[in-house]
Amino acid sequence: MIKLENVSFAYAAAGPTVENLSFHVEKGEFVALLGANGAGKTTTVKLIDGLIKPTKGRVLVNGEDTAKTRVSRRARQVGFLFQNPDRQICKNTVREEIAFGLRAARGDLGEDGIKNRVEETLAAFHFTGEEEPFSLSRGQRQRVALASVLAVEPQILILDEPTTGLDYSECCHIMDTISRMNRDGQVTVVMVCHDMEVVLDYAQRALVMAGGRLLGDGPVGKIFRDRELMERASVLPPQITGLAMRLGEGFENADTAEELAAVVMRRREGRRKQA
Amino acid sequence: MRNLFQYVPGNSLIHRLNPITKIVLTIAICVAAFMTDNLIYLAALLGVDLAIGIIAGVPKKTLGILKGLLKIAAFLFILQALLTRRGTPVFWIVTDTGLLLAGKVVLRLVVVCMPLTLVLAVTRVSDLANALVQVVHVPYKYAFTLTTAIRFVPQFLEEMNDIMEAQTARGIEFDTRNSFKKLGMILPLCAPLLISSVRRSDQTAVAAEVRGFELRTSSSGYKRYPFRLCDLPAALLCAALIVLAALI
Repeated sequence: MIKLENVSFAYAAAGPTVENLSFHVEKGEFVALLGANGAGKTTTVKLIDGLIKPTKGRVLVNGEDTAKTRVSRRARQVGFLFQNPDRQICKNTVREEIAFGLRAARGDLGEDGIKNRVEETLAAFHFTGEEEPFSLSRGQRQRVALASVLAVEPQILILDEPTTGLDYSECCHIMDTISRMNRDGQVTVVMVCHDMEVVLDYAQRALVMAGGRLLGDGPVGKIFRDRELMERASVLPPQITGLAMRLGEGFENADTAEELAAVVMRRREGRRKQA
Repeated sequence: MRNLFQYVPGNSLIHRLNPITKIVLTIAICVAAFMTDNLIYLAALLGVDLAIGIIAGVPKKTLGILKGLLKIAAFLFILQALLTRRGTPVFWIVTDTGLLLAGKVVLRLVVVCMPLTLVLAVTRVSDLANALVQVVHVPYKYAFTLTTAIRFVPQFLEEMNDIMEAQTARGIEFDTRNSFKKLGMILPLCAPLLISSVRRSDQTAVAAEVRGFELRTSSSGYKRYPFRLCDLPAALLCAALIVLAALI
């Protein structure tokens, strides 16, 4: 679905930001891009959406070279949720905001189709439609931005640090919505995130970056357990993974508190039987 | 465009001038440009602008500013030439008076705008504010307002660029080659830009206040800005430019 072939990119004022990047993302995957600030994660997702064009190599989205197609034309396929929702929101009510995005990307639906889609989206996100986006809380504004992106029904959803500045419940609300759509097979997700707990809870696969290069690619649990890789990328694994690693043998596949507790219980049960 | 107001460090004669001398020189060029009606003198003033840029060691930036201004100048030239009805027709509805007037307007625009941007390329904004407070006795509040406005311009441009990027990603055709279409699409973006600008201004005001903004006086800065010998030729140049403009 997404294919990067030896992609390099450099901003005019700086050196190479992304170098010789190659990976592909299959339909239905939930991929997280990990790495320290300046690792090239945001550049990579911008390359995927075509907001910036590679200086070397090529990026294919659904077989189409992003350098040869206009970004605005790809909005039907690729939705982009930015870290700052205020850059996206530009209308006075939530209803108008959702309709604005639909009119731009889904003109094919017609005015009646757009109206219906707006009402469906408002109901799904529990908005009345009359709320003023700029008077809402940061988390609510992020939900408005997400609602207007998802109303378009993109095949690919790119999230650039979607949970920054959100409290725990707002973060869960946003991520649960995205995760549900991903599980239902409606959307493939590529997410940049600094919150490793969120990555562990929601992503299936992690791509680790440092200095514009791809250092590691694999299932999230396995990636977090690779001490050397985490050190090279200056990433601290989630506490639960750290604890599981400290506990050692038998806890290799425990990625949640429940899984850790289950292993402990199994061992206790085993000891009781032996006794 | 984003680097337009960025300071370029250096130790040239222009860099070493007192910030107030640089402002006075800028004003002198502007006054001379508006006083004169002579095309050749206006061209000479443009030469002075370019010379200042070269002496300051920022020829690339000077040419960049000139290039940017020429785009606006070309549009203004065409407009002025087409709208002037006086004089003898030279080509289609364009008259000789129209061409002359358009040339003067465009040259005046370039001559006036160049030193205004160049002065920021060779002077730290903080030096500009401090010198205004110490030497001219401008209240710090106003000097701060001026320098903050200058600092905000590149930030607003960056913000606008990010907003346009976000809107393009949702399907708004900012990546079209039709400039008129693009212009029409900018209007809805004023809301997010305005909101972010007000938020940023508010944050800056709060940050300044908690750092004792109200306690600052003209003697608060540790750096002093005395006039030196090198300021003398610059002052003479200012006088010469205005006298010549009055005489020609």
